[in-house]
Amino acid sequence: MSLASASGAPGRPVGLPSGWAVAARQLRAVKILFPFLVLIAIWWAIDAAGNFSDRVLVSPKRVFDTVIMLISHGVLAEYVSTSLKIIGIASFISIVVGVPIGFAVGANRYAARSLEGFLRFLQGVSGIAWLPLVIIWFGFTHTTTLAIVIYTLIVPIIFNTMVGARAIPEQYELALRSLGAGRLRLITDVYLPGALPSIVVGLRLGMGYGWRALIAAEMLVRQGGLGDLIFGARTSGQIDRIIGGMIVIGALYLLIDRLLVQPIENLTIARWGVLRK
Amino acid sequence: MTSASADKLSDKIVVSGFRHFFETEDGPVQATGHIDLVIRGGEFVTLVGPSGCGKTTLLKALAGFIRPTEGTLTCDGKPIRGPGRERGVVFQELAILPWRTVRRNIGHGLEIARVPRAEREEKVARLIGLMGLAGFEDRYPHELSGGMRQRVAVARTWAADPDVILMDEPFAAVDAMTRLTLQEELGRLCAATQKTVFFITHSVDEAVFLGDRVLVMTRRPGTIKAVIDVPRRAAGGRDWESFTTDPEMQSIAERVLKLVRAERGASQAEESRAALEATA
Repeated sequence: MSLASASGAPGRPVGLPSGWAVAARQLRAVKILFPFLVLIAIWWAIDAAGNFSDRVLVSPKRVFDTVIMLISHGVLAEYVSTSLKIIGIASFISIVVGVPIGFAVGANRYAARSLEGFLRFLQGVSGIAWLPLVIIWFGFTHTTTLAIVIYTLIVPIIFNTMVGARAIPEQYELALRSLGAGRLRLITDVYLPGALPSIVVGLRLGMGYGWRALIAAEMLVRQGGLGDLIFGARTSGQIDRIIGGMIVIGALYLLIDRLLVQPIENLTIARWGVLRK
Repeated sequence: MTSASADKLSDKIVVSGFRHFFETEDGPVQATGHIDLVIRGGEFVTLVGPSGCGKTTLLKALAGFIRPTEGTLTCDGKPIRGPGRERGVVFQELAILPWRTVRRNIGHGLEIARVPRAEREEKVARLIGLMGLAGFEDRYPHELSGGMRQRVAVARTWAADPDVILMDEPFAAVDAMTRLTLQEELGRLCAATQKTVFFITHSVDEAVFLGDRVLVMTRRPGTIKAVIDVPRRAAGGRDWESFTTDPEMQSIAERVLKLVRAERGASQAEESRAALEATA
């Protein structure tokens, strides 16, 4: 075993014993966790030094216990599933609707030029700014939350699909047409894979914006979800719930990004190398 | 494909009265002058001319990527109305798909033509061998050198088995040493497959080395200024060593060079005059 690892793959440090590899992995984990540990330490120190009332600040331990309690009672699962369901449906709809729109706009030079400003304008009018209007239309319902999240998610997806489609070298299409490719072939073999890295970037950005919009909308709509959890806890002054909820919100986003979006990005961009020189 | 010798005598590509203008914001710009041209089956025709003379415009029209402003272009007597499988194109660079492996790029045309998998793999394997790509079948283009990428592009076009192959400065972007090898390999490939080839270049040596006939174009708007026949050596092969030591080849190359330089000189003189006028 030590022989096999000692031979080493090219580009890696030669003769690194496997024990070191494990240690290196652990070191990486520590590096990622380190800023979190510092934050918790500062929080703990402030709480310990200040002797605050429970209505102002609670200790990390209290929050931890509350989160465990919320999990074991199934309360957290309820709120989390509401939020995840909405972000899931919103991303699905945004991809299914946004990608074709992005291609349609990208295929037409004039449409792309005229819509670029419009899309940027929409990005400026954040989803939350739409809330008053959408609440008037759909009331305090999941439909309202969903509409806000889709709006937030779909704009970066359309925009980046458009950018990706326009960056595909013309020769790819011409070469394939000379090989006898029809329209459908061009879509599956050139446009989709060609724009995919850019679409993934759009999805990643959209997920970030969408998640924030979701939490904000839930705080106002108050029909479940993590935003509702922390905003509801405010009225009863449950600081532990608020902070616990915030941590869950951040952790879930990290998880979605690392487990869902980043693997797609690695699969495409890393494997195909530099797509555009 | 069925009888190469019979095809050889026939007119494969006929261009008559071709002229092309590009629409720009400042009105139409003439890309080429009046061009008439016949390419016979199995013939390797090279076209040299100064940059911007309209070489690529003519090739794009033959490929069916653009519609000529004037004139008709036919392939096997049928008017060219768009891109077609019978006319393969090899571009200068950036035309193989970065998300497909070497194997899947080369077999792409066969895949589109719904050639059964077994037959496809056999054809692809043969071309991989011919083009010296063995061992790289499962690599992605970004893992290959520029020369190897062009080999893949050439192999992809050959695999689809078109009657006519249009090549637009396919080796311009690779280094000089690799270019020599690629040119020899292309010569061998053509001798083995009897394709009709129309090859654009701005290198005189390349044009004479590869072509059965060399066309020289004038500066923009380009017309065909001269046609030089290159007697094909007995062996049918093309290799640089015998090319550079053959006095007949060298004298042809010199003739072509003079013709091209006259055009280049003329266009440069015109450019500098225009530049002077602009500054004055």
